[in-house]
Amino acid sequence: MMRPLLREPVRLGLMVLAVGLGVAVVLAIELAGTAAAGSFHSSMENLAGDNDLEVIASGGVPEAVVATLATQPYLLRISPRMEDFAVDTQTHETLPLIGLDLIAEGSRYALRDRAGYAVSANNGTMEESVRELGDPESVWVSASLNKNTGERIPLQINDRVLDCMVRGVLPEVSGNENIILMDIAGAQRALNRFGRVDRILIKLPANSNLEEWQKKLSAVLPPGVEVRPQGTGTEENRKMLAAFRWNLRLLSYIALVVGAFLIYNTISVSVVRRRSEIGIVRALGADRGDVLAAFLGEAACLGLAGALVGLPLGRIMAGGAVKLMAATVESLYVSSRPGPISLTAGSVALALLVGVGVAVVSALSPAREAMQVSPVDAMAQGRREYIARAHKGRDLAIAAVLAGLAALAARLPAFAGKPLFGYLATILLIAAAAYAIPALVNSISRIAAGMLGKLFGVEAMLASRSLAASLRRTSVLVGALATAVAMMVSVGIMVGSFRQTVVSWMANELPADFYLRPAGDAAAGRHPTISAELVEKIAALQGVAAVQRLRAYEISYDGMPVTLASVDLRVARPEQKSDFFSGRPTIEVLDQLRGKQNIIVSEPFTYKHNVNTGDTITLPLGDARANFQIVDVYYDYASERGYILMDRDVLLKYLPDETPTNLAVFVAPGTRPAEVRKEIQEAAAGHRILVFSNHDLRTEAVRIFDRTFAITYALEAVAVIVAVMGIAGALMALVIDRRRELGLLRFLGASSGQIQKMILVEAGLLGLLANLAGFVLGYFLSLILVFVINKQSFGWTIRFHWPVAVLLGALSVVYAATVVSGLYPARVAVRLNPLEAIHEE
Amino acid sequence: MAILSLQSVSKEYSSDGQRVRALDGVTLEVGEGEFVALVGRSGCGKSTLLHLAGAMDFPTSGMVRIEGRATSDLNDAQQTRLRREKVGFVFQSFQLLHTLTVQENVELPLLLAGTAGARELALERLRWVELDGLGVRYPHQLSGGQMQRVAIARALAHSPRILLADEPTGNLDTTTGSVILELLLRLTREQKTATIMATHSLEAASLCDTLVKLRDGRAEEVTRR
Repeated sequence: MMRPLLREPVRLGLMVLAVGLGVAVVLAIELAGTAAAGSFHSSMENLAGDNDLEVIASGGVPEAVVATLATQPYLLRISPRMEDFAVDTQTHETLPLIGLDLIAEGSRYALRDRAGYAVSANNGTMEESVRELGDPESVWVSASLNKNTGERIPLQINDRVLDCMVRGVLPEVSGNENIILMDIAGAQRALNRFGRVDRILIKLPANSNLEEWQKKLSAVLPPGVEVRPQGTGTEENRKMLAAFRWNLRLLSYIALVVGAFLIYNTISVSVVRRRSEIGIVRALGADRGDVLAAFLGEAACLGLAGALVGLPLGRIMAGGAVKLMAATVESLYVSSRPGPISLTAGSVALALLVGVGVAVVSALSPAREAMQVSPVDAMAQGRREYIARAHKGRDLAIAAVLAGLAALAARLPAFAGKPLFGYLATILLIAAAAYAIPALVNSISRIAAGMLGKLFGVEAMLASRSLAASLRRTSVLVGALATAVAMMVSVGIMVGSFRQTVVSWMANELPADFYLRPAGDAAAGRHPTISAELVEKIAALQGVAAVQRLRAYEISYDGMPVTLASVDLRVARPEQKSDFFSGRPTIEVLDQLRGKQNIIVSEPFTYKHNVNTGDTITLPLGDARANFQIVDVYYDYASERGYILMDRDVLLKYLPDETPTNLAVFVAPGTRPAEVRKEIQEAAAGHRILVFSNHDLRTEAVRIFDRTFAITYALEAVAVIVAVMGIAGALMALVIDRRRELGLLRFLGASSGQIQKMILVEAGLLGLLANLAGFVLGYFLSLILVFVINKQSFGWTIRFHWPVAVLLGALSVVYAATVVSGLYPARVAVRLNPLEAIHEE
Repeated sequence: MAILSLQSVSKEYSSDGQRVRALDGVTLEVGEGEFVALVGRSGCGKSTLLHLAGAMDFPTSGMVRIEGRATSDLNDAQQTRLRREKVGFVFQSFQLLHTLTVQENVELPLLLAGTAGARELALERLRWVELDGLGVRYPHQLSGGQMQRVAIARALAHSPRILLADEPTGNLDTTTGSVILELLLRLTREQKTATIMATHSLEAASLCDTLVKLRDGRAEEVTRR
């Protein structure tokens, strides 16, 4: 079964490596996805223990709720918590900061020093102990931070740096995750958030019914306060990450689709080459099933070898992928830390299943063809040239039907929140292209033959004739490379369009001269605040015309995390030109918000929650629940989770915390921005604040954007590499199958250079046809990606844009790679012994 | 002067680690317009002799000269040029390229050599083999005899000095084979080529000027008529 392939080790190696790369990419994305997003574990679940319910409220749970719960006549364990982030200013690492009632709960976490001995808060009096606990500079750290009791650790909390004292080291209750623990009172002081806690965890009596308790407790709590099973937030985040994982997972399958084309081609070649062998074994008593099993077995062996190569390769690739994915999850979705990459029995099974499964399925058609070969015909004809048996008219009709179905599928709405019909449309389009490619290859290579002969000589004429003659094989190769090129083009157009849309959007959306936020890595769901006195100082600076304050909160709406933000409309600036669904001027829309129960929401919010302009939604704010009317929807590309925006004065009525999370500073006319920046930096002495100029902020946004899509480019590159390797392998097969012709050409006076040129022209023609077909297919796929899949997955309206330079560059690289892939087969062709070749038959 | 000259030519191959002598001290001279037949059993060295005569291979010892030039002194590029200018091959199984038309098949050696006016020359050669009018057909649209005529036209396309034919009638019926033999003989005379033909056919052997009987690589008998 494998002997004929073993006789061509280079080609076999290329095929196995191509399948291996396909398997590796799928495995890498699966492993990295599980580590970075799939097994999402919120940092805030550290030290959460085995509680049953959690109590939350937008902007924090009023402390009175703790008292209400504590006074209920039930045997409940109540654990209020503060949850935020601190930045270690020495390592610049962002660490989860958790505030617990250490007087009540400290013993549960058995504070110990690094050697494992129990450590008391101090050796002094009870009064000193209590004071030390409540000190915002007293912290306990996880053992993984490698700090000892008594050491100092400078922590930036919001915009202030506190020189904290390590009072103890936590035992390994938090796994390997780095965390900072404070007493709840100290945390409230450090965070400057008084009178509220972020979450209350509740342990119910054993064997309790969660739903009953949820109802019972909700009844005694204020309307804005929600009681839900513990970990619901983590589940919400997991749900939110699902679409992100889905799309990456599907992208990772492209390389495998390309691999499938190549296996189909390999087995087809095997069937044709071994036609006489099939005849002999059939004559010797083998039945059709044996022949089918032999060819499927050959494919399965290829798939198995590919899977075995793909396993270690995938594990290595997962290391790089997890970094890229974690950065995207952090900046676009939620603060989290990727888990370890673990190659489980399940992932090994996935690799084997994907490798062998894809190989066997793609070999099914040629293997069935082999099965139907009649022994008499096979032996009589012996080995024959690969004859095109394409039914052009029929294939074109099928292609047209498939394309029509793709157009229909693209118009259907999302199913269960997933763009399943969008995916179906892409598959149908790829299938349509696969059917249309033989006709395209045939027409172009025939038309081009004469022209190429005139332009590049007899070698080009021979090359184009040869490609047209082995139409079926050529079509499969062109199909494989075209699929890879199409995905590259479509994703390139999608990302390019998205990038251009974001750049144009930022030009309107960011009118201020400077933007300020507390130092530290920006991440979705993390909103550190700027001290109120600093805001006043900046606003009072001479060169500052206006300061606009923005406050953001993470809230849970309709079972999904959402960003609730308020903007200071008293300093609304005419420069602000947001783009609304209604097309109205910004000033007119913002006027509707001023002092009213009105909100505007971002575009992704409307898709995620199925609401629109004119709808009224109820938001939990503090301990209240309030109704707001959506007066318009604005285009926004900052966050996928969705924004709700209202007037700052309105939000302050519900959540009276005046500290903003971001500032937009407008420079007074006639003042030099550089001077104002200097003034701001001087005013911010003692605060850790990042000051971005308008230009810096846009550059930073584009940098994050590019980082987000780096993984997509990497996936496309692998698909193209797989296809190019396939082309090299297939050219090797073409050379071997045409050795008689190549030998004859030597007899007829062809030089080594001419033979070499002929093979390279064939590679070049394959590349050209694939680029052409891939470009056309890619354009249509990009329409589905931009207007269907992206829209239904993430809810963003992207304006179509041709990234001409990127596409030209990428297509040129693919073309060059295809020609280069012909170098080795060309060398093999030159080394063939013409005497042996011509007398073989 | 002889166009082709073989002086004590031997050729050895290595097969499975063993040395096999395919030709053993063969001496032969072929002149302008001379038709030579090589006869002998399969494996006696006929094809090897043709390959050496066509500068497709080098002798292990002895000398092959084409118009006085020793093939052993030539590098790959010079050998290629020599074949383009001086040698034409005809094979038993025609060896036409099925992706090219009849006319293009005949043009091929001229195009490979970069000769100007390839189309006109090809059409003329097709007239020589009485196939004018069939130039636009593809090989699979022709009979066996017609295909061999095309192969002969192709071999003569560049007006070679030597025409080498390996069993040219082996795949043809007797009547067609006779026609092809007569054609080869006529063209040898008209074009003044030195033609060597390997054959099993007694009829073919009876038509030639010189008969060389090969046995185990040796020229057992050389008969000139």
